Parts: sequence; structure tokens; C-alpha cells
Amino acid sequence: MAIATTTATAPPAAIQPVTVPSRHFDAWATLTRRRLALSTRTPREVVIPLLTPVLFALVIAPALSDTVGRFQPGLDYMSFVAIATVGLLVPISCMFAGLGVIIDRRGGGLRDLLAAPIARPLIVFGNLAVAVLLAGLQLVVLVVAAVLRGADFHASVTGIAWFAAAALALAVTMYGAAEALANVMPTQEEYIGAVPAVAIVPWFFAGSLFPISALPAGLGFIAKLLPLTHALALMRYGLIDHRATGLRDIWGMTNPTAMAALSMTVVTLFAIGLTALGLRAFRRASLH
Amino acid sequence: MTSRASIQVHGLRKIYPGGVEAVRGLDFEVASGEVFGLLGPNGAGKSTTIGMLTTTIVPTSGWARLAGIDVAADPIAARRLSAVVFQDSVVDGGRTGRRNLETHARLWGVPSAVASRRITELAAGFGIGGLLGRPVETYSGGERRRLEIVRALLSQPRVLFLDEPTVGLDPRIRYELLDLIAGLRARADMTILLTTHYLDEAEQLCDRVAIVHAGRIVALDTPAALLAGLGREILEVRLYADAEEGLARLRSHRVAGRDAFVIGSTITVPVHDDSARDTLAAVGDLGLAVAAVTTRPPTLDDVYLQLTGDRLGAAA
Repeated sequence: MAIATTTATAPPAAIQPVTVPSRHFDAWATLTRRRLALSTRTPREVVIPLLTPVLFALVIAPALSDTVGRFQPGLDYMSFVAIATVGLLVPISCMFAGLGVIIDRRGGGLRDLLAAPIARPLIVFGNLAVAVLLAGLQLVVLVVAAVLRGADFHASVTGIAWFAAAALALAVTMYGAAEALANVMPTQEEYIGAVPAVAIVPWFFAGSLFPISALPAGLGFIAKLLPLTHALALMRYGLIDHRATGLRDIWGMTNPTAMAALSMTVVTLFAIGLTALGLRAFRRASLH
Repeated sequence: MTSRASIQVHGLRKIYPGGVEAVRGLDFEVASGEVFGLLGPNGAGKSTTIGMLTTTIVPTSGWARLAGIDVAADPIAARRLSAVVFQDSVVDGGRTGRRNLETHARLWGVPSAVASRRITELAAGFGIGGLLGRPVETYSGGERRRLEIVRALLSQPRVLFLDEPTVGLDPRIRYELLDLIAGLRARADMTILLTTHYLDEAEQLCDRVAIVHAGRIVALDTPAALLAGLGREILEVRLYADAEEGLARLRSHRVAGRDAFVIGSTITVPVHDDSARDTLAAVGDLGLAVAAVTTRPPTLDDVYLQLTGDRLGAAA
């Protein structure tokens, strides 16, 4: 039952924005600075993901090298495992970054960001930039630690480029997975429970500690579908495995550059696909 | 549709997945500079309405405009004109108050120098100038809410949404905040849409109030006009016996009209023409088992209870 309806009368209002529109880049830079400040406020998100990979690089890789020895002529097993630790570090680091998404949603400032006059995907891209940056810094620490412990990298400009591109694409892929997962997991506890399955389990099948040719045929086929397998083969091709044995295990071809390009394409497609998935999950979680 | 309106809402409806119809076709307009209240209990659809106006909830049907801009067709432009103070605390607790404010100002495109000046002025005005260097997680609930109001004002929004701004605060801080929000009325260029389930808050702050019940507006007018509908006084009669039966007897003897209603064991009788004393005498003549009687001026609480009681009665 409506009692009464009155029509409001007040001075007319000019229909003009009160502020200059934020340009996309300015908004993205602001969101990135915000996320960086939140992520680096405590050492937890920076240091904890480093612990296991550094342990591998400093202790386990040399020990494995001593006990397992050289399984391929000309390939230092310690360096082989040192690259594998990158494949452990990047996923763990990026998955940890996904925790910030849940914190933002449940008790942080996300809703104010959603009310801002910006394109909302920029929020995800700001988070992505910081996740990639932090993973990159951790990766540098890890590589330096491995070199100090005796890893033998033969880096050329082209090799470093393959390594960096593969690491970057892997980081984007894993952050896309983290963003998607964080937007469907209601709590941090559930998210943390899912992290090992996404960040660690694939590592054992991706040619981290031994070539995928040593796996049973079925598992070997599955390994070839994992972006981590391609990223590890690319990073090794760039720094230690100039004969591209890892890439040959995947593609069975003879041209290393062609195989590297194919694997790079695979990892890039994963990066694009999982980023799109992350954006979609973000949109569904934030827009009802 | 009025071209002067800052907020225009027509046929706005929201059905969530699963079939819950939170908002069932709202129509209202809010003039520029007006303070407009959506008043109703939890679950009435107030926050869903704000969510649709701030473009975080997609309407199922209907439309809404802020200063003439369709929120669905051009959401970024609509958001540029508005700011929100949310029902829950929405801040980066690990960052300082100043950093929270600066981030908001940048995202709304406020130039740095202007933002810096406004932060200083507004924070001082809201009594949090000395807190800005501290992480927000060290703020009290009232301090956080002040920070959020300052943040919302930084872009000088044309439309300010206050979603239950005092909920969960202790009474002293609540009244302090009400005083500060009342001060916002002086900003003639800003339209405020306030949701609340505190009736005194709506009465104190709003030029007009829409009473929302189960996703529908059941009354919309100025607080004074809504109260006038309940007469000059309210007579409350608490009975030892069945109150519904008592009300039927009061109505049959024309002591109470159709606008009288029952909550629990109490009959609420709006007194229009007679004095409360005459009405009370008439109640006494009927020989009802009266436990207590009070008279008082009508409040929006009575308006709400009357309207929703009628509806619930009709539904039953």
C-alpha cells in the first residue's frame, strides 16, 4: 500500500563529470602500487615461497647430483635441478599471490575499487603485474643462490631471452590459475588446501627431476599437456641444454628453434587462456 | 521522469540465481541536493538497490540513471559521478589512512595537489586528521567509518550512497556520525541516498523516505507527511487477552479505525479526531482486560509496522 508519492523539485543539475576521467594506465599503475604495498607489507608473501625452491637449489640439487650423477653426457644434474626449482618457485609464488584476492574480497578494499570509474579488469591486471614482479625477483634470488652453490649455466643473450620469456609466460599462466581459483574459493583455508594440487603436483610430472622420457607412456603424454613441462624445457634450453633434449622429448623434432617456438606458443596460449579464465571468474565473483 | 532528478529509478527488479526476488520493481526519483532514505529491515532489498545503482549488481529488468546517465549503458560514467560508503568496512587495513585516501582519489581522477588539499581539509573536518599516518587496522570502528566517509567525499561526488552507515557502531559513535552526516546536507550540490533500518536516522536526516518491504516500496513521502497519516497521537493498549480479538471489538465500536494494528499483545491505535483521553475512555467502556496504556507522538516506526503488518496480514 503506497501512502503517497511526491515529485522532488530542486535546482537542475548540470550533467558533467566532476573529475577528469582516469586513464587506463594511470588506474592500472595506481592499482599496481596498491597491490605491491599490500603484498610486500609483510615478508610472508615474499619469503615463504622461496623457502622450498632455495632448499632444493642449495641442498637437494647438489645431493641428488652426487648420488644420481650424470644421466646425460654434458648435462650437469645439479644445474638441471636448479632450473627445476624455478618451475617450483614460480607456481608457488603466484598461487600465494591469489590469497590477496580473497583477502581483498572478504575484508579489504575491493568493493571500493569496484565502485571506481575504471575498467574493472584493470584490478586483475594490477594484481597480475605484482605477482609477476615478485616471482621475477624471487627467481633472480634463486638463480643467484644456485650459481653460488655451483650450478653451471651457459647463458647467451638468446638463451636468457628464452629463459625469461618462458618464466614470464609461466608466471602469467599460474597467476591466471590463482585468480580463477581465488574467485571461486570462498575462504582462504579452502584456497590454501587447493594450492598443492595446482602448484606442486604437476611439478613431479613435468620433467623436473628427470626427463619425461623416463615416465610411463600415459604419464608422458599427460606431461606434454602441462604448461610447466614446456616452460621447464624452454628454460633449460636457454641456460643449460643447448641441444634441446627436453624439447626433443616433447616434440620429437630436430630443429631446436622450431621446437622452442612451439613450446613457447603452448605456454603463451596457456597464459592467455588462464588469464581469460581468471578475468571471467573475477567478473562472476564481483558482479552479481 | 523529471529532468531535475539526480537519481531516476524505474521498474528496477532483481532476481538472484535460485529465484530469490530481492527487488520487485522499484520506481522513485531523487532530486539534486536531496537526502533520500530507503528505510526497511534487513533483507528488504535496500543494499541490492544500491548495488544496482553502483553497478555491482546487474538488474534483472528496469533501469536506473544517475544525473541522466544510464548505469547499465555507461557504468564507468555513472561511477565517476558517485561514491559509496558501504555497510561493512571496506578499506585496506594494512595501509595507512592517507594511502587509502590517495588511492581512491587517483582512481577517481582527482589531481594529486587537489587530493592532498581535500584530504587535509576533510580529515580535519571529520576529526581524523591525526590518524592518517597509522595503518587503518589500528582504527576503531567509528574512526574507520569516518575515514570511509572522507574517502567518499574526496571526488566531490554528485551522488553519495550511504549504505547503513551507522550499523554496528556503539550509540555514542552512532550519534556523532549522524551529526557529521547531517552536516553533509549543507552540500547542496550533492544528492544523498541513504539506506537504514534505524527509523530515527531516516527521520533525522532525510528529506523524503521510501519505506521498503520485501523488495517493494510501500510508502514514499516526507517523514512529516508519513507521520501525519497516523494522526496526532498514538495510543498503545497492551491486553492480557487476545489482542486481535480486542482490536476487532475496538473497530466494531468505532474506537479504532482501519489503520490500527496489533503487534504481539499490544494494539496500536492512531488517534485522529478525538483526543487520546476520549479514546482511552472508550476503551475502558468496552471492558477489555487492559495490562498497560501509553500515549505518545507517532514515529516512522509506527508507519512501518502499520504498513508491513497490513501486508503480512493480507498475505496470511
